[in-house]
Amino acid sequence: MKLPRFSSRPFSVSSPGFIAALQDYTLFALDILKNLKSVMKNREETIKEMFVIGTKALLMVITGGLFAGIILAIESGHSLEMFGATTLIGRTVSLGMIRELGPVITGLLLASRTGAKNTSELGAMQLSEQIDAIQAFGLSPIRKLVVPRVIAALVMFLPLTLIADVSGMLGGIFITNQTFHVDFAYLLNSVVTVLKMKDLLVGFLKPVFFGFFISSISCYYGLSTRGGTTNLGKNAISSVVMSSLAVLGLDLIFTKVIWEVL
Amino acid sequence: MIQLQHISLALTGRQILQDISLDIYDDTISVILGPSGVGKSTILKIILGLLKVDSGKVIIDGRDLTYADTDDALDLRRKIAMVFQGNALFDSLTVEQNTAYFLKESEAYSPEEISRRVNDALAFVNLSGTEDLYPEQLSGGMKKRLAIARAVVVEPRIILFDEPTTGLDPINAKVVLGLIKNLKSKGTTSVIVTHIINDAIAVGDVLTVLNEGSVVSSGSSGEVLRSNNPFIKEFLYEIYDDSLFINNKELLRQ
Repeated sequence: MKLPRFSSRPFSVSSPGFIAALQDYTLFALDILKNLKSVMKNREETIKEMFVIGTKALLMVITGGLFAGIILAIESGHSLEMFGATTLIGRTVSLGMIRELGPVITGLLLASRTGAKNTSELGAMQLSEQIDAIQAFGLSPIRKLVVPRVIAALVMFLPLTLIADVSGMLGGIFITNQTFHVDFAYLLNSVVTVLKMKDLLVGFLKPVFFGFFISSISCYYGLSTRGGTTNLGKNAISSVVMSSLAVLGLDLIFTKVIWEVL
Repeated sequence: MIQLQHISLALTGRQILQDISLDIYDDTISVILGPSGVGKSTILKIILGLLKVDSGKVIIDGRDLTYADTDDALDLRRKIAMVFQGNALFDSLTVEQNTAYFLKESEAYSPEEISRRVNDALAFVNLSGTEDLYPEQLSGGMKKRLAIARAVVVEPRIILFDEPTTGLDPINAKVVLGLIKNLKSKGTTSVIVTHIINDAIAVGDVLTVLNEGSVVSSGSSGEVLRSNNPFIKEFLYEIYDDSLFINNKELLRQ
């Protein structure tokens, strides 16, 4: 028997069929890549998804970035203060936000927000047979529902991450100026000049990969939903957990590879 | 004509269908009858190509589509529409948008043609005037009629109905059955799966009774009702109340 790929096993680390589920997800992800060109036909849905991701997550991302920047400045500031090196706080905050905290904090926040949204929406559509209806009329749910969500994530995660970066750096500069009495103009200059092309490359590439994996994992869980609302709840939780783990795992790989290669 | 030949299917380790053979003729209303969980809806999904069988053949208009992939099956699917048990309406779209959805997606029709077809389909199911309402604003019977309109609007040759009257009050159920009969007069073939014997007798030209994934009996309603099969006797008589029992006896006499 051959089922549609996304209707097979749920993707869960506790499942004895983890490898099989991973295989299913891989095929699903390849299907998405093969169908990416269909985005032009479904641009209306894609723009709608971009709007939802962008506007609804904006405040959350600004707040998350701001808190991360402030915490980074305080923690690094107290350590650097012991060596009389508080002038390095700006550099630390800048590199920390651009390379690590900005993308990771944004990734984790969007994994919970966008991930839960995708899984619950597609899962509810699956349970109410709307996905079957789409297929029954000869349409592809991957082209119609998944690709717009993936493209929207690919496009929107980068600007959201940049906003989190800027928000964090401004928060870090402000708190450093107020707490450690480092000159504001000096801090502003140091957070910009310390950044090299490699740092920007890392900081800008991560959100694109995070966007793809978060959106594809969450859509996979949504379309894998079977049974009833209990399973929908379970899949929404699993989707957020797996997306968050994917963000941290990819971040680890990126960090290791970038330090080794560049 | 749809032919299912010796099809078997297991899902999640459970045998759903076992060596089922079924012929569905053009311009008829075929009813697949049986208790819940015997694989009735699965047969519809197999006809649509949403599920692939483990063994056997699915032949439509002489073409073997058993293992046709999605693209190959696309032409076939344009000839077949389905009315789902839970209606499967798109919550975020209005009545008009739901009805027009698949026409717009096909990109084969002009806006004027879409508008004409939508108006005709909504008039056919008596939902004219509700174009701007959302599914949540409709009653159960109206939702079912909207689901029928969405199927009718693509002008399919065959419409599959999954439990079309389940959950409806007798008046709305009668309206839905009337629509199915009207479709037949327009030359549309209908396949209905239901567990409601009255509905099956009311509209079915051919009844096929399923139990435990196998065909127990098939024929006209009279032939099925006269069957001596113990399951059919139990299913047709014992689970219904006395009044229905009397009605069925009268039907048998006729």
